Amino acid sequence: MTTDLSLPAMISMYALMGVPLAILVYLQLGMVRDMLIGMVRMTLQLILVGLYLKYIFQLNHPLVSLLWVAVMLGVANFSILRKAGLKPGPFFWRSLIGIAGSTLLVSGWFILIAIRPDPIYDARYMVPIVGMILGNCLRSNVLSLERFYSGIRKNENEFMTYLMLGATLHEATRPYLRDAVKAAINPAIATMATMGIVSLPGMMTGQILGGTMPIIAIKYQIGIMICIFTAMVIAALVNILLSLSVAFDDHQRLKQTIFISEQ
Amino acid sequence: MIVFKNIVLNVHQQTLLDGATLRISGGDKIVVRGRSGCGKSSLLKCAGGALPLAGGSISINDLTLTPATVAAIRSKIAFIGQEPMLGTENVRDALLLPFHFKAHHGNQPTDERMAQLLDHLHLPARILDQPCKRISGGEKQRIAIARALLLNKTIFFADEVTSALDPESKAAVMTELFRPEITLLSISHDSEWVNACDRVIEITKAQLVEAIQ
Repeated sequence: MTTDLSLPAMISMYALMGVPLAILVYLQLGMVRDMLIGMVRMTLQLILVGLYLKYIFQLNHPLVSLLWVAVMLGVANFSILRKAGLKPGPFFWRSLIGIAGSTLLVSGWFILIAIRPDPIYDARYMVPIVGMILGNCLRSNVLSLERFYSGIRKNENEFMTYLMLGATLHEATRPYLRDAVKAAINPAIATMATMGIVSLPGMMTGQILGGTMPIIAIKYQIGIMICIFTAMVIAALVNILLSLSVAFDDHQRLKQTIFISEQ
Repeated sequence: MIVFKNIVLNVHQQTLLDGATLRISGGDKIVVRGRSGCGKSSLLKCAGGALPLAGGSISINDLTLTPATVAAIRSKIAFIGQEPMLGTENVRDALLLPFHFKAHHGNQPTDERMAQLLDHLHLPARILDQPCKRISGGEKQRIAIARALLLNKTIFFADEVTSALDPESKAAVMTELFRPEITLLSISHDSEWVNACDRVIEITKAQLVEAIQ
């Protein structure tokens, strides 16, 4: 069993936050308020999630676990669109299909084919695995959607030139799609290439701290990394492709009204 | 035949054209003039479906610009801007770019054809292997014209295409674009270009008005 962190231990951890706080004040970055809000939100959210997960794991009912997964997908989807600078309204359902499809496909693969827990819907596997894959997809999808639409917006003349030269919408958007997918997966490739040397991954560390044999923890880590990477690539591609029909008008011009900054 | 019929064009909440009409016969050479910001470039762009019309219609060779016809219309016209986008790393790729699109698959020109066309436009064949970043604005304009000619386009919308050219290069571009089979709608402040055109159109009070040469 992992050693519990006592209240004084947790206080000592919060005290460590005094160091970045002092640096932010010294640099006059104006981010102290954001940092404090972020820390309070993190604490409250994790306490609530901790309580909720305890309930979910005890109950271990497939519908309750799936409901929690659905909430995670909805929040992640909304967050992706807002952070990518896109109005959620026009894209919500299309983007949800991309993120949910890719996340559920690879988590299903990992849980149902590779792990095969007993019972198969065991919440201790389903919730954390979907959460890890989704969290990583969230970051990569923000990058890919933002890069794709800002790329076309900044290079509108180039994009129109492709159309004028006879390109279809898919052909004209392909250079920006390539850039966007590259931007989304580059950090993951770098992380995979240095894993174990530069960084010790969270899942593996957590399992080892929880008493799992390192060799088993490593297998899970390899599995989850492959799942994360696969889901990232699928979600980045599918999200962009599904968004095309609402982001461009019937003359293949990029709609300026899809961006949050354009009211 | 190109027909702009009662077009209304709003750009950045400003009405640039308000019920303007212009008929251009096949082979006509037209130059559009007007004060800066009056909508000359926007007129050219809207004909290719790059800017939305608030009213009226545009038809090119009996095809009215609609979502269903926009691809067919774009395949007939060439739009050459002041600083054309070549969209690739080197000049050869820029010339061949449209032939990678489904619309032009299988019609790829030979190196000889490209070199011949470049020669007509006073460009050396060695430019084919140069990076697009390293060539001048005037060379980019001529590469964009060469690309359109390789696609056998006969309707040209040319926005100040001789502004960066020396007299010899300008003469070469004019020889290509003033051929009888080419319909040309252009913007230019160059007197030689204006004199060579059949008609001069002024944008005045948001209308397209025929000026007397």
